[in-house]
Order: sequence, then structure tokens, then C-alpha cells
Amino acid sequence: MLAVKNLTKSFNSPSGKVTALSNVTLSVKTGEFASIIGKSGSGKSTLLSMLGALDVPTSGSIDVDDVDIAKLSAHKQTAYRANQIGFVFQHYNLIPNLSALQNVMLALEFGGTPARIRKVRAEQLLNDVGIDTDQQMRKPSRLSGGQQQRVAIARALANHPAIILADEPTGNLDSETGQKIFDLLHDLSRSENTTIIAVTHDMDIAGKTDKTFILKDGKITTK
Amino acid sequence: MNVVTRGIKNALRSPIRSGAIVLMLAISIGLVLAMLVARSSVESKISSVEATSGTLVTVSPAGVSGFAGGGNPLTSTQVAQIAATPHVASIVPSLSDQLGTSDTNLVSSLQLGSFGARQQRFDSTSTTTGSGSSTVTARPAPTPRISVTGTTDPNSISPTGGTLTISSGSTIDGSSSSDVALVGTSLATKNNLKVGSTFTAYGQTTTVSGIYSSGNTFLDSGIIMPLKTVQTLTTQAGAVSSVKATVDSSNNVNSTVSALKTSLGTAADITSEAEQAAASVSSLQSISSLALAGVIGATIAGAIIVLLAMIMVVRERRREIGVIKAIGGTNGKVIAQFMTEALTLTVIGAVIGLVLGVLVSGPMTTSLVQSSSSSTTSTTTPGTRGGGGGGFGGGLNQIGSNLTQVSAAVTPQTFLIAGGLTLLIAIIGSAVPAWFIARVRPAEVLRTE
Ligand SMILES: Nc1ncnc2c1ncn2[C@@H]1O[C@H](COP(=O)(O)OP(=O)(O)O)[C@@H](O)[C@H]1O
Ligand SMILES: [Mg+2]
Repeated sequence: MLAVKNLTKSFNSPSGKVTALSNVTLSVKTGEFASIIGKSGSGKSTLLSMLGALDVPTSGSIDVDDVDIAKLSAHKQTAYRANQIGFVFQHYNLIPNLSALQNVMLALEFGGTPARIRKVRAEQLLNDVGIDTDQQMRKPSRLSGGQQQRVAIARALANHPAIILADEPTGNLDSETGQKIFDLLHDLSRSENTTIIAVTHDMDIAGKTDKTFILKDGKITTK
Repeated sequence: MNVVTRGIKNALRSPIRSGAIVLMLAISIGLVLAMLVARSSVESKISSVEATSGTLVTVSPAGVSGFAGGGNPLTSTQVAQIAATPHVASIVPSLSDQLGTSDTNLVSSLQLGSFGARQQRFDSTSTTTGSGSSTVTARPAPTPRISVTGTTDPNSISPTGGTLTISSGSTIDGSSSSDVALVGTSLATKNNLKVGSTFTAYGQTTTVSGIYSSGNTFLDSGIIMPLKTVQTLTTQAGAVSSVKATVDSSNNVNSTVSALKTSLGTAADITSEAEQAAASVSSLQSISSLALAGVIGATIAGAIIVLLAMIMVVRERRREIGVIKAIGGTNGKVIAQFMTEALTLTVIGAVIGLVLGVLVSGPMTTSLVQSSSSSTTSTTTPGTRGGGGGGFGGGLNQIGSNLTQVSAAVTPQTFLIAGGLTLLIAIIGSAVPAWFIARVRPAEVLRTE
């Protein structure tokens, strides 16, 4: 269970104070697939960064299974990111000089998986998302966008996270590939009972999720 | 794959840039080593000069220098006084004299030359000094004289301060009073003297015990005899024209010199090699501090190279750092990874640099020492000798010419220091980038612009 209460985030920019999120309250049940839609600059990425403990809110609380992650120490937040959260980014953000396999193994290392079983586990994860043995050895630059996003999903799943946060995961892909990536995420939420929160521009995709939040100027309006 | 292997892998990520960084580092680390070698070589030379020459104190009668000047020789009481001075470990007294044509049947092997002629222009064998105006023209053509040194230790005559080289025969017992002599090789050749030959000195038949060669034309034209023999033959019982006193430790030289100055008063002039050596090694000392400045400068340059390279790398991989943090990598792990990267570059640079340093340290030390010492070495015309510390003079002039003979030695210790400085370069060079890394906010990875 994820419960966000009165979440506000403002930034001090050279042109003055910018309030990216104001008084956001929402909740997502465990295993639910939720989508967030909204115009560019409405605060979607800012909301995800708060949920993933990448940044701390100005005020409000984020309870993940009754623990307020906004109040955790920096060290505990890092551990939370490693073990409870899986990120999927629009630009994949794989480490360029590591192979697909090594990218997944990196997340396993941070999650505390013993070194000797990392490789087997990473291979398993990559096979599950449809990356074959040959592709696993390649650097990201030698994989297609869709394949890179599959590797990123495998990396996000590596440590059995409670929540997967995806920021426009299909934004850089053609609609057919985007659909496949979405289906992959959807299947996972069903089979692994993982909570998924995905930001998207695609109304088709948003329509298929369990819940959709609409952000407008940092404020939420539920459909 | 762990932090360390990732760091090493990243160091080789862009080969051309890494190559350029490694090359620059190699040059500065090579310079560090070469300068360290120069410094330690020069330092060891300084301490060896100070150690070998530092404890000798020369006492000569006031006003006497070599054969020149005037005044009274030191008496046996004064010699005993010197020997009894605290910290004086041993003394070698000597008495110098010259043999003229009436004293000996030997012919000097030295050419009088214009220098010798000028020094002897005051001499006169004529006793007709009545009118005073004709004495100058009445003087016979001067001849060079033969120098005689009476000493208790013939080795003290050696110009190098070591053992006097006996080319044939055997050395003499300086404490005896027999009519034996060591003859310089030039004089022996000139007069056809062999071991066992005899010659007349001060009207007394003297036997050649051995022939020495010192490589110094003036010394090799002289005669060395036991001190007592010379004192008896010249009827100067107990008289001494120079005393070389060895002090027990170099720390006590200054106090001994002042003690001697107090006890002997105006009767004697006292010089210590420590003072002279200190003056001679001052140019080496300035090379040493120059080399130290070089070590520091090259270390700083190396650290700046690593620093700039790592700042560049961190800025370039800002997003990657954010991603690593976002997927759960700790600050410590990211910093360790970049430090390993910096260390890898530095170590590769160090390996090349140390090889480079070993190659250039020899020529560099030599050129450093020579360019700065060339002004302090002096050349003496063979056969002449200025008023030295007495008799055949000491080994001091040798210090000057030995100064340029500094050999560059790469010791394990120097290598260790160079290695330590390399590590310092890597640590300083990656400290500031580490701070940059810690400040990268993971939320930045979500920004798409
Ligand atoms: N680090 C920041 N500093 C200043 N302003 C920021 C920062 N991050 C986001 N913003 C501002 O907050 C608002 C919301 O941004 P964002 O969450 O990225 O929007 P979205 O992802 O919906 O396009 C924008 O006006 C953006 O300029
Ligand atoms: Mg966004």
C-alpha cells in the first residue's frame, strides 16, 4: 500500500520559487497498475522522484507499507531505492560501457545479491523479458530502443521491488514496440504482484491501467 | 564485476584521452623520480664529504703558510697541549723544510719557471750588503729547492686524505728517528733513485725506503722523512710547522677549534675542514633544494593533471552517476569507483614515468651538478702550490674536484617515496571530483531536457 498525503515540492530557481507539486494526495494498492498523465511541466517526474526517494518533499508524507520514506536518513533512502524500487526511464539510462548482463548484475550488486549467483539471476531476468543470450553480451549501443528498455525493465525487477516507477517508458519507442513494453509491464504486475506507477502520454495505455491520475499544474484530479 | 573492476574498465573507456592523461602523468612522475634521485644522490655526497673531512683540524704557527711567511714553529709543549685537548682523538705533527743545493746532492725535478724565479728573487747568498746597491746583481741564478716534510704519519701527506700510494719499496715509520726517506716519483726519476739508494741531506747519508706517487707534481718532487729525523737534521728539536688533529666526532669540531684558539692564543692559526667543507658543499646544497622544489612542483603538476582529468570525467558522466545512485548505488561506491579509475590512470602513468625517471635521472643529476659546480672548481698549475695548511697541504683541494663526481643512484627507498607521492597525486587528484560526485542529485536522471 502506497499512500501519499499533502505532498508539496517547490524548487528555488533563479527566476523565483517554482511549486512543482502542491498538496498532492493519492493512494495505490499493492499490485495495482496506476498511470499518471498530464501536460509537460505538470509535475509528473517530480512526483515520481518523490515516490522513488530520489528527492525529498518540501512537506507532506509518503507512506510505503506504513513507513514514511520522506523521513528516512539518506543512507536508508539509498537502501530503499536499491531494494524496494525499480526505475524505468524514458531514455533507458543503461550504463554505456557495461553489457546488458552487467547492467542487470550492477543492480543485483546494489541490492545485496551474493556475487556468485548474480550472473545466473541476471540471465534469468533477461530471458524473462525476452533478451536472448547473444543480446545479453552486447553493450546498450548495440541494442534497439525496445531491447534497451527490456534490459532496463529486467534491471528494475532485479531485486524484487515492491514498486516499479516508470517515467514515460514508451515515450521513445514506436507505438508497436511501446505496446509490447507496456504489455510486459502489465504482465509483471499480474505475475509478481508488483505495484507499477507509470507516467504516460498515451491515452490508450492509460485507459488499460487500473487507475489513472491526472496532474495539472502540480495538482491532482482523479478520473 | 565490482567497484574496482568497473573503475579499471572505465579508465580505459576512451583510449585516446586516457593515453594523453597517462602520458602527462608519466612525465610528471618521471620528473618526481629523477628529482628525488638527484636530491638523494647529492645529499649522500654532502654527507660523505662532511663525514670524511669533517673531523680534521689543522693547527699551524701564526704567520706561517707552507714555506712562506715568518714566525716561530710550534714547540713540543704546544704540540702536547693540542694532543691533550678534549675530543682530540689523534694528532699528526709535521715539520716542513726545503733543501737547497748546499744541503743535498739531489737535483730538483721541478722547473723553476717564471713562478719559481719570482718567489726566489729575494734570496741572496751574497753577504756583501755593505753598499746595498749592488746586492741585487751579485745574486747567482736561483735553483728550485726540494721540499722535505717530516711527519709521524706519511699517509697524512696524501692529497686524497687516504693512504699514500707507495709505488715501490715500503713506507717509513714516522715515529722513528732513522735516516730513511720516502721519495716522490718525479724526484726519484730525476736523480735515478731506487729503493735502497742513498743520498745526502743536511750532510747526512739517507736511505730511500720507498717511492711514492700521489699524482700531484709538487708532492712527487718532494721527500718525506720521519718527524724526529727532520727535527734533528735541521736542529729544531721539538719544532713543528703543522699539526693535523682529528676530532673524535664531527659534532665536537667547533668546540675543539675554540678550545684550541683559547689555549694556543695568537701563537697559532687554526682551520677546520668542517668549515671549509661546509663552504664547498654549499653549491651541492642549493642543488639539493632545487631538486626538492622540483619534486614538489612535479607532484603538484601530477595532482593537477589527475584533478582536471577527473573533473572532466565526472562532468561528462554526471547522468551515469545519477543513474547509479537512482538504482541504489551508495555515494561511497560511486566515489570508490572513480577513485579506482584515477588510481588506474596514475599507476599506468607511474609505471611509464618511473622507467622514464630511471633513464633520465643519471644525465639529469650530472647536468644539474655540473652546471652549478663549474664555477667552484679551480685548476692549479702542476708544480706550484699556494700557501696551504702547511707542508704539502691537506686534502682539502680535492673536495672541490670531487664535487662533480656525484653518481645518481636509484635506491629502493627513492622508489618507495616516488610510489608514495604517486599515491598522493591520485588521492589529491580525486578528492575534489569525489566531492562533485557526492553532490550529484539522483533526481536529475528524470530530467529530460
Ligand atoms: N530541479 C528543479 N529546479 C527547478 N525547477 C524544477 C526542477 N525540477 C522540476 N522543476 C520544475 O517543476 C515543474 C515540474 O517539472 P517536471 O516534474 O519535470 O514536469 P513533467 O515531468 O510533468 O514534465 C516544471 O515547471 C519544472 O521546470
Ligand atoms: Mg517528465
